[in-house]
Amino acid sequence: MTTDIERVTGTALDRVEGRDKVTGLARYAYEYPADDIAYVVPVPAAIARGTITGIDPGDALAVPGVLTVLSFRNAPPLAGNDPELRIFSSDRVSYRGQMVAAVVADTLEAAAEAARLVHVGYDAEPHDVLLRPDHPEAYVPEKVNPSFPAVSEQGDVEAALGDAAVTVDTTYTTPAYHNNAMEPHATLAVWSGDRLTAYDSNQGSSTARDMLAAAFGLEPGQVRVVSPHVGGGFGSKGTPRPQIVLAALAARAVGRPAKVALTRQHMFAVTGYRTPSIQRVRLGADASGRMTALAHEVEEQTSTLKEFAEQTAVPSRMMYAAPNRLTTHRVVALDVATPSWMRAPGECPGMYALESAMDELAVACGLDPIELRVRNEPEEDPESGLPWSSRNVVACLREGAAWFGWAGRDPAPGVRRDGRWLVGTGVAASTYPARRRPSEATARATADGRFTVRIAAADIGTGSRTALTQIAADALGVPPERVDVRIGDSALPTASLAGGSMGTASWGSAVAMACVRLRERLDGAGGEVPEDGIEARYDTADDIKADAAYARHAFGAQFAEVRVDPGTGEIRVPRLLGVFAAGRIINAKTARSQFIGGMTMGLAMALLEESVPDAEFGGFLNHDLAQYHVPANADVANIDARWIEEDDPHLNPMGSKGIGEIGIVGTAAAIGNAVHHATGVRFRDLPIRPDRVLDRAPQIGGRNL
Amino acid sequence: MRVELTVNGEPQVADDVWEGESLLYVLRERLGLPGAKNACEQGECGSCTVYLDGTVVCACLVAAGQAEGAEVVTVEGLADGDALDPVQRAFLDAGAVQCGFCTPGLVVAVHDLLARTPDPAEADVREALAGNLCRCTGYEHILAAVRLAAERGGEGRS
Amino acid sequence: MRFLRPHTWAEALGAKAEFPDALPLMGGTDVMVDVNFGRARPNALLDLTAIPELRTWAPDGDALRVGAGVTYARLVSELADRLPALAAASRTVGSPQIRNRGTAGGNLGSASPAGDAHPPLLAGGAEVELESVRGARRVAVEEFFAGPKRSVLEPDELIAGFRARPATGPQYFAKVGTRNAMVIAVCSFALALRPGEGVGTGIGSAGPTPLRAYAAEEFLAGELADRWEKRDALPGPVIGEFAELVAGAARPIDDVRGTADYRAHVLRVLARRTLTWAWADHCEGGAGCA
Repeated sequence: MTTDIERVTGTALDRVEGRDKVTGLARYAYEYPADDIAYVVPVPAAIARGTITGIDPGDALAVPGVLTVLSFRNAPPLAGNDPELRIFSSDRVSYRGQMVAAVVADTLEAAAEAARLVHVGYDAEPHDVLLRPDHPEAYVPEKVNPSFPAVSEQGDVEAALGDAAVTVDTTYTTPAYHNNAMEPHATLAVWSGDRLTAYDSNQGSSTARDMLAAAFGLEPGQVRVVSPHVGGGFGSKGTPRPQIVLAALAARAVGRPAKVALTRQHMFAVTGYRTPSIQRVRLGADASGRMTALAHEVEEQTSTLKEFAEQTAVPSRMMYAAPNRLTTHRVVALDVATPSWMRAPGECPGMYALESAMDELAVACGLDPIELRVRNEPEEDPESGLPWSSRNVVACLREGAAWFGWAGRDPAPGVRRDGRWLVGTGVAASTYPARRRPSEATARATADGRFTVRIAAADIGTGSRTALTQIAADALGVPPERVDVRIGDSALPTASLAGGSMGTASWGSAVAMACVRLRERLDGAGGEVPEDGIEARYDTADDIKADAAYARHAFGAQFAEVRVDPGTGEIRVPRLLGVFAAGRIINAKTARSQFIGGMTMGLAMALLEESVPDAEFGGFLNHDLAQYHVPANADVANIDARWIEEDDPHLNPMGSKGIGEIGIVGTAAAIGNAVHHATGVRFRDLPIRPDRVLDRAPQIGGRNL
Repeated sequence: MRVELTVNGEPQVADDVWEGESLLYVLRERLGLPGAKNACEQGECGSCTVYLDGTVVCACLVAAGQAEGAEVVTVEGLADGDALDPVQRAFLDAGAVQCGFCTPGLVVAVHDLLARTPDPAEADVREALAGNLCRCTGYEHILAAVRLAAERGGEGRS
Repeated sequence: MRFLRPHTWAEALGAKAEFPDALPLMGGTDVMVDVNFGRARPNALLDLTAIPELRTWAPDGDALRVGAGVTYARLVSELADRLPALAAASRTVGSPQIRNRGTAGGNLGSASPAGDAHPPLLAGGAEVELESVRGARRVAVEEFFAGPKRSVLEPDELIAGFRARPATGPQYFAKVGTRNAMVIAVCSFALALRPGEGVGTGIGSAGPTPLRAYAAEEFLAGELADRWEKRDALPGPVIGEFAELVAGAARPIDDVRGTADYRAHVLRVLARRTLTWAWADHCEGGAGCA
């Protein structure tokens, strides 16, 4: 083993599975071969609330090739604690699109045709799918995700606001958003006796295995979930989704392998979404811009099936030094699918509101918005009093300002024109927690001089397989070409989810330590690898329990230039820059793409994306990719992401913070703030659609072009 | 019905094809070629982009019967044995791949773009790839891959 | 389901007569979406892509005859000089993949109010050629549309193509959507100036069918009657009135893509812009381009 080679973490190593992906050889869940596969097509509920009065499968069963029709009438009960996954367990309908039945057939065509012929009778009840201000059913949940208090208060916000020289009191709204990973949720389920193998699209095979085992009353050892390649998730594949239980249920019912891929339309109903939010933000400051009060009060939705309370106001507990603070969450249980995780849950919508309000405060104080943020920089975490493990938001703002060309910016809004376009720039800060979760890994040396690392990690496109290869190579002191990283299979050592920007930190900790252990064992063996190899295992659970108390967060700053056509209300974003402080960056190539991808999703959050609820029938109106506008290549222009090197010893063996989510945080606020700078008008409801711009056009004064 | 076509240079026969079935379904489910992906079934995302008689199309919008007698090339047919096509090589080198689900369609679309326009301007690239949605990358590294492949011209096969 | 694949136009007409409920299939960019989504489950698909006659275009007297199977990509590459507004609209259709398959004939067959080909065909005074085993007929485009996604096509008829006069003056097409590309029009507008003769207009996505703004055409033709030769600047009020009349001709609704008010407003803007551009081209003596 060589020890004098260059460190490979920090370099731009090519994606290790890239070759399989560019040649089309990488296999995704639906593409695994099996003999005699049956196809499954679910039947979505046609009402938003009520009771199923009857299911007539006669016409469906008459379609040639149909094997069975599953519903609450004949499906075996499922266990487990997630009501979204206990499909066909009762006659209740809780939201439009909920799976109420499914057809299993020899061909997809027969299953799809028969699914349309399953006659479901309903006793529909009046439904309510619209979140609105001060909804009479709104309540304060016990906790918000994952386990924060719903309400937090320090000092006396009302008094401080009353005494403040400058105040801002505004309300922002964000719509529902759908993750829309490119790969639809899909599962191929294969039973062998009482053992189940699921080829599945998910963000964590260990988690999916445990859920499946619980649902079917099996031991985890009887279930294997295989997911080496996953076509994106963005949170929607973190919590297992109903297609995995449906495939397993169907396969058992017909005694054959069975597979299901959700259609894009059905994904809008059953794969989760970001809750819409109504956020009131009140800020108070002295004449110099030092904040004395910060109140962030959120209303959002959950479902009648289970409570999902997004932690939207939580970033306002740590972002700025206001001594008097109030953050509250109220949720309304509507007749909707349960909202779920979507990229930077909490921080993404919450920081949109907070960072927009900060811009309004900067204008009210006559301060540069960067300077305002610098003046309110907290010495320690305001809520917990813990020291920061590292906090470089000011550096991100300052460096970003230099790169973006912020100096000399004329703060006057609505005065820059380029032909028919009004031009403006905006800035916002961003943050996301840096956490890690227990995971196990093994590292094995073989006599051929190669090393194999095993961990049930997930690569949903983040580049984790590549990052873990680099981490292992450095820990072993060998070139990455000699390291094989096996992930995406619950038969591997148990690992945490790809979620919460924790993946690489969690898995990397286990991989690095397993490799260190292996190296120790090898050294103990005199550097000789025995004929049958040598292996080491590591579980980080105890390390993580012993982690010192620090407030650990990544930070960033987003800069946007926008152009607004006051004649049509169209908005373009010619330039977007994100600067991040996220510990040590493990792979420069994959990290930059992750940051830019997050920023692009933030751009779309500001301008394009929105899931419009169907008040009349329930569900969402624009449930396909023609109507839900994921940004296309031509929607983005020059997006750049840079980072500041951080040396934070309080994180993990790599010194890394997660990077999957912070890119989206702050982007929408930066764009909204730039739109204000361009037009002189505040748009506080996302997305900033052309018709919304035109509704305010008299204030812009540009209607007649 | 039976559909006979040529895929990646090989004659192929698909039997028991449903008349409303798409070329995409035939490729993925009948011919064992899942490279082209199925992500929207309405021609919005471009994940299923393939060549049909020399022009790029969304395979989800081509009825199987319309491909009778046609020459189809999928992402699986671009590499020459172990030697990647220059576009594939550029996607790897530029880091234009993340989850990989849009990649096959994008690789074919870029292959077509550069065959028609060897040195495209950035605006032309963005327009030409407007029908290939990517949810991961924000497109910057994909643009870089197109530039890299264009710079290398026909070289870079590896 | 049957899959019918005639190789000649005569076979196609025979098939349609025999199976009047067969759904004609051209580029598939609308029909296959409906089949994939289970919205259409016809007894037969009638594939028209194997018929060579449909893929040709040629001058015919003082008009151009364009077969129903000429793709958007070819309208752009082969006919941009003669049918500039249609070529401009074709450029905004979907993506290269869609333009390689989709056709103006198929767009007519779907008769969507949002079809991008319709406003330029309306502005250009095109006629649709319909044919069945009973015979052929021509219908002015504005009379072809009968309602949202409905046309006057009889069950045994097929769209053979359309006829339009090559541009004699500037033509423009403009479209507003919520995305920069791959977008269904929130609203679209086409304008054709025929120097010495008159003006044509077409409105998309702002009514139950694509529409012509008759009053706007009449008003502008009157205003331009003695200006064609003079080629002097159009007074602002003339442009403004034209824009108002265009917006007034629309019958927009609120939907997911935009409100009725927004559509009316955008139409005003598009009418102003296209007229300003087109008149400037005319004054410079250019043939106009889009």
